Amino acid sequence: MLEPRFESALALRGEPTTTYVSMREITTRGMIDLRGLTSDRKFMAAAKAVLGFDLPKAPRTSNSFGDVKVLWLSPDQWLVLCAREKAPSLAAEFAKATENTHALAVDVSDMRSIIRIEGEGSREVMMKGCSLDFTDADFTPGYVRRVRFAEIAALFTIVDASTIDLYVFRSYANYAWDFLLKAARKGSEVGLFNGR
Amino acid sequence: MLLVTCPVCHASGDETDFHFGGQAHVARPATSNPEGISDEQQREYLFTRINPKGLHFERVRCDRGCGKWFHAARDTMTMEFKAFYGITELPPDHVIKQAKGAWAEYFTMRMKKQK
Ligand SMILES: [Zn+2]
Repeated sequence: MLEPRFESALALRGEPTTTYVSMREITTRGMIDLRGLTSDRKFMAAAKAVLGFDLPKAPRTSNSFGDVKVLWLSPDQWLVLCAREKAPSLAAEFAKATENTHALAVDVSDMRSIIRIEGEGSREVMMKGCSLDFTDADFTPGYVRRVRFAEIAALFTIVDASTIDLYVFRSYANYAWDFLLKAARKGSEVGLFNGR
Repeated sequence: MLLVTCPVCHASGDETDFHFGGQAHVARPATSNPEGISDEQQREYLFTRINPKGLHFERVRCDRGCGKWFHAARDTMTMEFKAFYGITELPPDHVIKQAKGAWAEYFTMRMKKQK
């Protein structure tokens, strides 16, 4: 039998030297799509039992403990982040713990590509692709949001003041990478976040 | 550019982050009476829509956000949003009071049903 094997959509793209932020792909992260209702106490308790911490309930927030992080996507959807090799077993744990509730847990590690954007200009580069105002006070570490970025569906998290993880569907990874190469080209700095 | 606020996740964003879903509160007659609907009723359901100048009620999806459908009350002349409310809800009372014509008739009928 053939073993499933991960192949990055961005494997052939080296780290760029032409941009004023650094860009690299994160390939070691596993992702689990977890669905169930926030209002379903049994589901919330079962998820907590597996994770050891509560699923985030407030919109656009995340919770984490150790190497597991949970992103809020909707009142009935979360994205659980963990080590790639751990995802299948963690998804199975969720499935077992929630088998008596209306819930779903699927390993979707290959569904999205993750691009880490780092540097003082990371927020500015994001602003070039979407309608959000990253100077807003809401945009603190841990912030999660799905948004239309460069005309495609994307999800981003603010890791720290100068680091953003951008999640795009795998088939759009090269397009998003090309967009970022242009949006962050050296010489195109706006300087919106200089010294912030 | 219209600014929309989702009543589910409370995200405000450009209209490009949302998806327009046509007229609100269209009831499918076959849901309550699958055997007895007439061609006229089905035609009304599929094709006949209200097209008012002024206050209008529409469906919107938080397309790039939480993914949920909701309702918006919008003035078709000024493009001003009067309210955003849940997909299973009726608009706030003060907005219903401003409805005219076919919408006023519709909400009067819904209020009677609720009682
Ligand atoms: Zn929403």
